[in-house]
Amino acid sequence: MRYRRPGLDIASHALLILALIAFCLPVWLAITAATHDQASLYTGTAPLWFGSEGLDNFRAVLTEPVGRLGTDVTRLLLNSTVMALGIALGKIAIAILAAYAIVFFRFPLRRLCFWLIFITLMLPVEVRIMPTYRVAADLGLLNSYVGLILPLIASATATFLFRQFYLTVPPELLEAARVDGAGPWRFLRDILLPLSTTNIAALFVIMFLYGWNQYLWPLLITTESDHMTIVVSLKRLLSSADNLVPWQTVMATALLAMLPPVAVIVLMQRYFVKGLVDAEK
Amino acid sequence: MATLRLSALRKTYPNGFTALHGADLEIADGELIVVVGPSGCGKSTLLRMLAGLESISDGELVIDDRRVNELEPAQRDVAMVFQNYALYPHMSVADNMGYALKNRRVPKAERRRKVEETARLIGLEDLLDRRPKQLSGGQRQRVAMGRAIVREPRVFLFDEPLSNLDAKLRVQMRLEIRRLQKRLGVTAVYVTHDQVEAMTLADRLVVMNGGRIEQVGTPMHLYERPASRFVAGFIGSPAMNVLDARLEGDSLTLPCGTRLASPVPSPGEAKTVCLGIRPEHLSVVPEGDAIDGDLSVRVELVEPLGADTLVHARLEGQDDPVVARVDGIRAVAEGDSLALRPDAGRLHLFDPETGQRLDPLEPECQHSTFPA
Amino acid sequence: MATFRHHRVTPWLLLAPQLAVVAIFFFWPAAQAMLQAFYVEDPFGLGRTFVAFENFARVLASAEYYRALGITVTFSVAVALGAMALALLLAVLADRVIKGAGAYKTLLVWPYAVAPAVAGVLWGFMLDPELGLVSAGLGALGIDWNHRLNGGQAMVLVVMASIWKQMSYNFVFFLAGLQAIPRSLLEAAAIDGAGPWRRFWTITFPLLSPTAFFLLVMNSVYAFFETFGTIDATTAGGPGGATRTLVYKVFEDGFIGYDLGASAAQSVLLMGLVGLLTLLQFRYLERKVQY
Repeated sequence: MRYRRPGLDIASHALLILALIAFCLPVWLAITAATHDQASLYTGTAPLWFGSEGLDNFRAVLTEPVGRLGTDVTRLLLNSTVMALGIALGKIAIAILAAYAIVFFRFPLRRLCFWLIFITLMLPVEVRIMPTYRVAADLGLLNSYVGLILPLIASATATFLFRQFYLTVPPELLEAARVDGAGPWRFLRDILLPLSTTNIAALFVIMFLYGWNQYLWPLLITTESDHMTIVVSLKRLLSSADNLVPWQTVMATALLAMLPPVAVIVLMQRYFVKGLVDAEK
Repeated sequence: MATLRLSALRKTYPNGFTALHGADLEIADGELIVVVGPSGCGKSTLLRMLAGLESISDGELVIDDRRVNELEPAQRDVAMVFQNYALYPHMSVADNMGYALKNRRVPKAERRRKVEETARLIGLEDLLDRRPKQLSGGQRQRVAMGRAIVREPRVFLFDEPLSNLDAKLRVQMRLEIRRLQKRLGVTAVYVTHDQVEAMTLADRLVVMNGGRIEQVGTPMHLYERPASRFVAGFIGSPAMNVLDARLEGDSLTLPCGTRLASPVPSPGEAKTVCLGIRPEHLSVVPEGDAIDGDLSVRVELVEPLGADTLVHARLEGQDDPVVARVDGIRAVAEGDSLALRPDAGRLHLFDPETGQRLDPLEPECQHSTFPA
Repeated sequence: MATFRHHRVTPWLLLAPQLAVVAIFFFWPAAQAMLQAFYVEDPFGLGRTFVAFENFARVLASAEYYRALGITVTFSVAVALGAMALALLLAVLADRVIKGAGAYKTLLVWPYAVAPAVAGVLWGFMLDPELGLVSAGLGALGIDWNHRLNGGQAMVLVVMASIWKQMSYNFVFFLAGLQAIPRSLLEAAAIDGAGPWRRFWTITFPLLSPTAFFLLVMNSVYAFFETFGTIDATTAGGPGGATRTLVYKVFEDGFIGYDLGASAAQSVLLMGLVGLLTLLQFRYLERKVQY
């Protein structure tokens, strides 16, 4: 039942479109700024329309060392990609196995393992950042991909979600598989994993965004630019200028930093929404 | 094809709950055994122990002279049809049916041949490429059957396989299961709570209650000579009427004063007993024609079912109404007074405390009439 | 639950990677933080002295700590309420118009994918005192905007950037929640004579309250921790500590001030705080979480 009230409908659309414009404005301004050169940017307020230097600006940040970073953005994008994929795939892989053990096996100390893993949900990396940094330093993981990835895999979000999903799998499927002669590894490969594909996709989206958007940890663990991520580099770009901020470079880099996660979320929106809503359950 | 022997089979859960108090049963090769009982009686536990899905706490399970207590389900060479079918949702019908063969490393060509052969047998040839989601309830049930058949197991196990189907399909599938099982000659154990299903399918029935086997025998034997009040009440519909009575010498006296000849003479002093009379063994007699031993009742409710009519009537001195099943539609109305005449040869006496039948069962009836 | 029996080694093999990572990168550092909080370490890491609760006493006696606590609470409340109110409004509108709800979702969902630091940079540019478009607009209205000097404006900046990023997350949940409300309930209310406004507050809103509560916890956690990037990339806790939240202070004291004991003590206090939040969340999740 909807009362047909054209007036209200139009007002709703109008408000929504207004909100959309407001939401897009920061990005629009970033795009226009990235297409001007520094001189034309600093003639007044930021331009609302495109300039002519877009291709040059992007080519420059992608191929030449940027500011005092001493490296080009292509390298930063590569680092971010390695980190985000490493975190997403690593988390999913260990979570699938750990949740499988907890849900489908009975063994001594199971309850303890459960709590050891799920208590990590309580404390984000930001809270224990100093000592974690020390551990990584002691293990010689500073300025390495392993150092970027491994400590961030240590939370149990994905394990928790897989556990929740596994609990919804009808127990008869496991029984049928056992009667059909499937052992634990075969059941995992032939039955459970094929049933988990949408959950895996959803988690991949969420974990990829989580990994790509990390800030504090990569800021600490990468002191050299050859392992720096693109998100962290922005602050350096902002502060590296002698006096005037090179906004066209910063904005081109910021846009490149947004592009992969936004592309992932738009292309995989269906899984993303499912993943989020499942996470609540 | 196989024989099964259950000796003092027991299931106690870690929390101390005993689901099965020592079951003894021998199952002949090719026999179809139906285990029936109310929910929570332990029948599903028993079946799952046969399958190897529940561990055996005590006792011994022997299939074809080999102890299988410790074997995994797959090693026991049994196939199971689950209540909700438990089809693998991401696999086609053919893959569902062939999964066990694949796990046994049966070559692909042979697997395909066997799956197709089975599909023809149960009318699934056109559905082999479908996913379970694309099938109707009856078709899914068939796939579950096919998955069991294709493996050529030694034993079929059925866990209430028809309870998710509508009434008409249930009758049809019941006949089909019976036909297939006899044709393939595979020993089968079938669990259900539906006593009509149990009566029509079984070579022999096992009635369970409270984790114990109450009685084993052919459906007709259980109907005619129930070993206990529980079996008497569970087999047959509507349930048997049970009246309080006093047994003295060779006559029974009801609280209303009616006297009947007892089928079992009492050797000692008078005692209280429970008298069981099935509704179909009571016939309506006009009040004027009543003779000694007829029950004078007042009709409370009449349920015409078409082929016959159920008459619920009040008998003085009894808490529950007496139900009589009479042929056709009788001109009986609520409030009528009339007489019910019990079939003298079909009275059952039970001990009020233990619920056990008073006259001893003839020993030969305890065993299967099925050729072993 | 049906499970595998007779497998003693397999579950441990399955758990090994997760347990190893959690032990090395969670429990070991967390224990270190606990320990560290009771020691004073010289800045070169050459030795340390046990000081019992002195670090805590020092932290809890400093006005700076309470200032940071106050800033954190202000910031979190502003972000959580702002992001939720805006999201609820937009979700109700999108749910109303049927046609296009999906399109609006797609168009509104992407800011969630933007890193907090990037969100900060985008907003920092819009409000840049020299050439920002919005700051220029504000100037025309007589508001002299300079978040590099004005603490209150710096706070508004980080709050706006944080809301912008978080709104889409809340929007997805509110829209899903709204779409899950059975139409028949609203129809029944309409037949009972409730107008649209009344229907919203007496039917829709109460049915959304579990979602809203969940979001409140999630938004608080977000405002506490994930906004570190937004703050560091725009105001770096400034000006004059006006946007220095508790997490930012832990970072500053530890990595810039090298006061490891104080930083660890603050970490432990923060853990307590987060523990409390999580407890709240688990209480809500209780009926859904069964072991």
